[in-house]
Amino acid sequence: MRGALRTFSDRLLGRGTAALTVPPLDGAWRPNNLLEDAPSGIAATVPDCLTLKEGRPVWAEGRRLKGADGEIETLPRTITAMASSSGGRFAIALDGAGITIDGQPQPALAQLSCVTALAFEDESTLWIAIGSTVNQTGEWARDLIELRRSGRLLRYDIGTGKPATIAERLAYPNGMVWTPDGMIVSEAWAVRLIRLAPSGKAVEIVADLPGYPAGLSQSASGGYWLTLFAPRSPLIELVLREASYRKAMMQEVDPVYWIAPALSSGQSFFEPMQGGALKQMGILKPWAPTRSYGLVVEFSGDFTPLRSFHSRAGGRRHGVTSVLEADGQLWVTSKGGGEIVRIALAEGAKS
Amino acid sequence: MSHIEADGVQPIIELRGVTKEFHGVAALRDVNFTLMPGEVHALLGENGAGKSTLTKIIAGVHSPTSGEVFFKGEKLAFSRPADALLNGIAMVFQETSLVQSLTVAQNIYLGKEGFLNRLRGIYIAAQQFLQSLNFNVDPTMQVSQLGAAQKQMVEIARAVHHKARVIIFDEPTATLTPEEKHHFFSLVRRLKADGVSIVFISHALEEALAISDRITVLRDGQHVVTDDVSAFNRDRIITYMVGRTLTEEIYQKGAREPRRYGKKVLSVQNLSMGKMVRNTSFSIYAGQITGLFGLIGSGRTETAKIVAGVAKRDFLHGGEIRFEDRSVRFRTPRPAVKSGIVYVTEDRKLEGFFETKSIAANIYSGLLGADLNKTPVVSYSEMMELSQVWTKRLNVRTIDGQAKVIELSGGNQQKVVVAKALAQRPKLIIFDEPTRGVDVGAIAEIHSAINDLADAGLAVVVISSYLPEIMNLADRILVTRLGRVVEEFGISEATEEKIMYAAVH
Repeated sequence: MRGALRTFSDRLLGRGTAALTVPPLDGAWRPNNLLEDAPSGIAATVPDCLTLKEGRPVWAEGRRLKGADGEIETLPRTITAMASSSGGRFAIALDGAGITIDGQPQPALAQLSCVTALAFEDESTLWIAIGSTVNQTGEWARDLIELRRSGRLLRYDIGTGKPATIAERLAYPNGMVWTPDGMIVSEAWAVRLIRLAPSGKAVEIVADLPGYPAGLSQSASGGYWLTLFAPRSPLIELVLREASYRKAMMQEVDPVYWIAPALSSGQSFFEPMQGGALKQMGILKPWAPTRSYGLVVEFSGDFTPLRSFHSRAGGRRHGVTSVLEADGQLWVTSKGGGEIVRIALAEGAKS
Repeated sequence: MSHIEADGVQPIIELRGVTKEFHGVAALRDVNFTLMPGEVHALLGENGAGKSTLTKIIAGVHSPTSGEVFFKGEKLAFSRPADALLNGIAMVFQETSLVQSLTVAQNIYLGKEGFLNRLRGIYIAAQQFLQSLNFNVDPTMQVSQLGAAQKQMVEIARAVHHKARVIIFDEPTATLTPEEKHHFFSLVRRLKADGVSIVFISHALEEALAISDRITVLRDGQHVVTDDVSAFNRDRIITYMVGRTLTEEIYQKGAREPRRYGKKVLSVQNLSMGKMVRNTSFSIYAGQITGLFGLIGSGRTETAKIVAGVAKRDFLHGGEIRFEDRSVRFRTPRPAVKSGIVYVTEDRKLEGFFETKSIAANIYSGLLGADLNKTPVVSYSEMMELSQVWTKRLNVRTIDGQAKVIELSGGNQQKVVVAKALAQRPKLIIFDEPTRGVDVGAIAEIHSAINDLADAGLAVVVISSYLPEIMNLADRILVTRLGRVVEEFGISEATEEKIMYAAVH
């Protein structure tokens, strides 16, 4: 009763959960153009799922598995997640076709769909993040607008072939990285990182992120990399609180033009835009409200943000979904910009 | 003897062998001082050197324990400030002494009212008078609604309006912007040209060097030197004041390594309060000092006050404050203090302490406010123990914890305010103008204490109008303009020009 009254008064007065505020990008999150201004990368079609295979970075472009030297393999379905273990095991999740480990289909996982991330705990255990049990992989924007919390996390014992559910009702788990204390999971719609122990006990590690988190990976310095594929904005926060508006929008508007985060934006004047001056003297302001953004942030081992790489409003390298540090370079997939970007980390540190 | 004294003109004020004791401790010891007609005489000295005591004796606030005061060659003993004012001696106090509930115009005319007063007439006259001084203050505003800088302007205007022949300015420029300081110095030159004698106390030594004819330096209540301004430079003054060169110690030159970001302690999101704070957003991190710089009226103090529960944000859509990942809305300072947010005010006399209470009682009141007292009832022993710890830690110069705060010098008063705040064991501490009206020796000590807090892992915010202070202390600098944070600089990239540009444009 008290909670309901609080919610009602918050909505009335624009407070608490109805404050429609987003955290500022400052401190280690301070905007720069390090991602946008990085040297030209490798052109790619909706690249995603960066991981290491035989010590080399590989990524997915739809059905194709690619590396820096070109295409490695074409698979029957779209690749939605990949992971490799320190011992060289390699797992791939295919859209609607389950998961293969070292090329072997896993019957117990054949029915899984909307697998958004994979991560090895050790050589015999694989964790599987299912973004949504209601919507398909490509319908992530619908999943957010419907305020779903239908994500699941499975722990799969490769030896016995049995999966166990670790957590349910997650708000679109979208990235994972294993730490000695448990699995770190990025929960996109909850805009936070949580740590899940194999027992299922969850602890919030980082809350109130300024964007929707996606891929996680380890950094060479003992910390972690996180990508945020789109920024939060007060307009989207407002729409998420307006049930009837969301319903009408989903019924009547093409999903491309929804007031929702996007992997890329600014291509059409039909797109929703926030009132106010987006442009000054014909040039889009870098701080203009935007639906898409490119952002990679480095955390220390205790998840304190250290530095960030940005592609701001009006930039090209938006919709960053996965990140990998290899050989002193940061590999980043810009799904919205259609590019694999490589940043020399020594230069990034200098900047 | 300086050239000015050697001319044979009779001093307008002369103190001979003046000693003043409080509780048996001499604040002034056998001090001689002369003020010539039409001269600007800077009175400089470290924290507790006796500057304020000396000027208060001239202005009739205190009577000397021994020694003599001569006014135009005649021996005088003012029993109250009004006597001094009638004789043409006005004092502009370091902490403003205006009547808060009256308007600006009423304060200016206070003590000079006619038998019948027409409010409208007073307002018009005050408006014209303030304009003639280039002070942008609305005469109809109630003083309680003014910022510290505007109060200072009214205080100066009041002294000038009384047509005093001797005006004592105690730290007049501490709260003024560069432009306002420029107006103030023009006013001083004008008054000087009219033959008014001015005693000028300032811790900004450059100002003293620029505007004075003569400088007197006091140390530990004793006269050290009086000479023409041409005989001094900054380092020489400091050497006289403290016996060592502090310039390098306080404002270190050269690059320094900023502290790294710790956990995000505070996230202010789209905060609004009327026209003073407009949709501002910023974050504060543990283990480092965040400098908040902005011109007077840019909303920096108001933002800090909202965070600390002293002021309230807009009732509707006032934004959000997240402290330690929890949305908070403090309606009074007490819950903020209990949560770990402490605000050290810029106006210590009004908001910082109970001036008639002892140092111990003041520090203990901070502990009580945070509910950290060990015993459910007020414990005298705990109070005295606390006082001993903090007076020692912050080097508060006093006889014992029983001394009343009002009897301390500005720098020591500020240390008491800081001690009171630190006794509350904050997680986030906001210092608003921490060294305003504080001498160079105490500045170094307060800076050192602030640095220690950040090194100990606390989130520290320093609000200051003095750019060298911000540049010296802060690891990152947020610049406010028109009620919002408009720019952020890392200390390695910040320059005074960049910061001022962001604050003004």
